[in-house]
Amino acid sequence: MSKLANRADWADDEEFDDPSALPAQQVTTNKDGTKTVVSYRFNDEGKKVKVTRRIKTTVVREHVNPQVAERRSWAKFGLEKGHAPGPSFDTTSVGENIAFRPSINWKAQAAEAEKNGGEKGSMKDQLKDKKVKCRICSGEHFTARCPFKDTMAPVDEPTAGGAGEDDEAAAGAVGTGSGSYVPPHLRKGAAGGGERMGGKFEKDDLATLRVTNVSELAEEGELRDLFERFGRVTRVFLARDRETQRAKGFAFISFADRSDAARACEKMDGFGYRHLILRVEFAKRTT
Amino acid sequence: MRPILLSGHERSLNQIKFNRDGDLLFSVAKDKIVCAWWSANGERLGTYNGHQGAIWTVDVSPNTVLLATGSADNTVRLWNVKTGECIKVWDFPTAVKRVEFTPDGSRLLAVTEKRMGFLGTIAVLDINYEDLEAQAEEPSLRITCTESKATVAGWSYLAKYIIAGHEDGSVSQYDSKTGEQLENVQAHEFDNLISDIQFSADRTYFITASKDKSAKLISSRNLAILKTYVADTPLNSAAITPKKEYVILGGGQAAMDVTTTSARQGKFEARFYHKVFEDEIGRVRGHFGPLNTVAVHPNGTAYASGGEDGYVRVHHFDKPYFDFMYEVEREQLRK
Repeated sequence: MSKLANRADWADDEEFDDPSALPAQQVTTNKDGTKTVVSYRFNDEGKKVKVTRRIKTTVVREHVNPQVAERRSWAKFGLEKGHAPGPSFDTTSVGENIAFRPSINWKAQAAEAEKNGGEKGSMKDQLKDKKVKCRICSGEHFTARCPFKDTMAPVDEPTAGGAGEDDEAAAGAVGTGSGSYVPPHLRKGAAGGGERMGGKFEKDDLATLRVTNVSELAEEGELRDLFERFGRVTRVFLARDRETQRAKGFAFISFADRSDAARACEKMDGFGYRHLILRVEFAKRTT
Repeated sequence: MRPILLSGHERSLNQIKFNRDGDLLFSVAKDKIVCAWWSANGERLGTYNGHQGAIWTVDVSPNTVLLATGSADNTVRLWNVKTGECIKVWDFPTAVKRVEFTPDGSRLLAVTEKRMGFLGTIAVLDINYEDLEAQAEEPSLRITCTESKATVAGWSYLAKYIIAGHEDGSVSQYDSKTGEQLENVQAHEFDNLISDIQFSADRTYFITASKDKSAKLISSRNLAILKTYVADTPLNSAAITPKKEYVILGGGQAAMDVTTTSARQGKFEARFYHKVFEDEIGRVRGHFGPLNTVAVHPNGTAYASGGEDGYVRVHHFDKPYFDFMYEVEREQLRK
């Protein structure tokens, strides 16, 4: 956008003109003597950030040798020449806190702390009282070193092509046994159809009614009142438009008991509600 | 306590020194610069540039006007502390391993390496404060170490003696006027070089650190061994703390073996011993390489350590450090 003339156009308002401009820093003095500084800056992502700092100034008086005081005013030199006063971040940093309390028997204390804190210890200590056990013959050697490796199968594992029961168990693991790949949901022990999303509505599918031709002005509470006459209603869902919040014209009513739902379906189908005739049927299972 | 980490050097530290007032800290490393730091907040005051090789040693005059450095480029340089300018360069035939000012600052000793047919020497240079530019060209005294080269040296009380630690583990005492050897004591195990020597505030006794895994407190007057502090690792540095009766030892696995040891086993900690009772009372860890040098604030309120890892860590002591007392000390206090 270029300004054609010197005429100040409202659309060329400076604040909008230059998005990189930052509001000036504001400093306010509070009643308790602290200062509040509000400043703006851009963060690494280029977003404008407002920083509010409360500063309390404490004057600490310290008596030093005049020579030391004189040295404080020395200018920086060498590689530091021209740098601003105050520690620079590339040469000076603060380390993590070290708890140092001298004690006579610190060695014993340190050993204890090691024991408590360093749970892990060395791998060697952890495995000190573990023994190597062969899975084939339970001897004290690695399975791979077992003399019966080629002739015997591991004790706990089923043999390939064993009896029917064994076979199924073997199918539970991938790549064992003789069977081909079995998808997880068909494996033994897996829940029927595996997990499905929204599973909590699944079970009352059988007692859910779908109501259509519902007025745009319908309310969930009204629907609940209408259907509660037939039994305990566990859920009322009225589809609404996301923007206008008006009813879309259909609803789902879940009953605790299927017989109540059947009765409601029979009675309410064709019921006049807000100038419209409802149509009620059992909801179909989504596939 | 929260240590301040100073990372001004790119290579391992060789020596650090506080000035007499303790407000400034000077550090030298194997890279070619000298750094000056404010000890209170770790701010770098400046660097002294000019050396052509690794800098082995640094010392500051008692009035914090002059700084002396000794380097592997075979020179001792004198710097103006305030401006960072090099005032004087003395050339030596070999590398300079240690420099130290007398307690009054009027003389400077320099320990030179034994190499290329040259014997190790201790040279004494006179320092002129009237006109900083006009310094003597030649050493006023030269002590040649014929038996075993000196690795470290320092001045005793009133600059009466020069005390030197040798490569073979012995400590010797020279008359600082004539250069005559007065005493020689095999303080440490034979052939374990003495890596550091630091004096008490009044310079009547000093502590030596050696590769034989021990540090000894020795009297300046007759080189009597007063105390022995036994560590479990070769020591590179030892310091005496004023205000509290402790000594701080620094060391660790030799630099060449570091890659094969973990930080825990490497023993890269500053060890605190009680000066009188010789017991180890605590350790401060943090470095991830052996400690090459340890220095204590002249007021005893802080200490700094420089490591093979290139960091200087400045620790300001907090309350438990000052509160710690042995039962006998407490009883004494009650009386």
